[in-house]
Amino acid sequence: MHPLVRDLYKKLLTVGRDYPAGLDHVRDRAKREIFGRRDIEGEVDIKKAVRYGRYMLREMMGVIQLKKYRTLKARYAPSDDDEPPPPPPPASERR
Amino acid sequence: MRVLVGVKRVIDYAVRVRVAGDKSGVELANVKMSMNPFCEIACEEAIQLKEKKVASEVVAVSIGPKQAQETLRSALAMGCDRAIHVATDLRLDQELNPLAVARLLAKVVADEQPDLVIVGKQSIDGDNGTTGPMLAELLGWSQATFAAKFDVAGDGATAEVERETDTGTEVVKVKLPTVLTADLRLNTPRYPKLPNIMKAKKKPLESKDAADYGVDLAPSIVVEAVASPEARAAGITVDSVDTLVDKLKNEAAVI
Repeated sequence: MHPLVRDLYKKLLTVGRDYPAGLDHVRDRAKREIFGRRDIEGEVDIKKAVRYGRYMLREMMGVIQLKKYRTLKARYAPSDDDEPPPPPPPASERR
Repeated sequence: MRVLVGVKRVIDYAVRVRVAGDKSGVELANVKMSMNPFCEIACEEAIQLKEKKVASEVVAVSIGPKQAQETLRSALAMGCDRAIHVATDLRLDQELNPLAVARLLAKVVADEQPDLVIVGKQSIDGDNGTTGPMLAELLGWSQATFAAKFDVAGDGATAEVERETDTGTEVVKVKLPTVLTADLRLNTPRYPKLPNIMKAKKKPLESKDAADYGVDLAPSIVVEAVASPEARAAGITVDSVDTLVDKLKNEAAVI
């Protein structure tokens, strides 16, 4: 594996821990996307693919920050056009 | 200018909290913990001040069990220069009261001599929102709570703060040193970069015992029991207008 790709994968997993869809989803997607590009050869093309991966990484960070902001806004500073916070789970799901 | 940032380790904002079986509090075992989101905003503000060359050093302080050091490491990864850990085994969400935290922070402030203290407006576990004001009172400093914008004047003696209130935005001018409590829209906390997470492991982290500060930590408020809110009963579908009118009249008694 190219060192840049390995570095990208590690970064994806670090950020994936906080991603709303969960680490497993991120790991599966990352593996699928990276192995789907296994035929890419040549330093320039690999760097291009890694650049795309880094762009996705920044997008993931954005999603995490937005989710956090929206959750906290709904909890602590709700305005009239916010969705109400989700109702508590039914009694059967609680311990 | 030296800036002190208070950070707290809480249950992650995305986790659905569960009440422990004996109703003594919320379940803390095997639950993802992270830095309080408002403390992240406070941290980010301090780091931005450092990047604008207004602040020279950013010190993060956290009170809590040994694991609070992980929270401090993430503060260091964001860009704080060094960290102080005040160790205590009291439960942060109910046994360690805001007054005790404010007293401990006042002692830390006396040691560190910062010109500005930034804390989150409240933690998402205890939701007291009183530590900042109490700290300002104990220190005899000015305070700017629920800050949505913070600008230090050119001479570094005063600062202009925009506060979010229920009736609109209030602009206040405070004398430094001051205690600032961060609201949600003060800034967007950055995401720590992987190399910075590695570098944070080498930054200085000082650990002290809370008992050494000679502060009364006994809780003045005791939590008797914690319960989750009542589940809302499921609604029903009525089959005709007549039944609806009948139910509204007799059961709901609204018409």
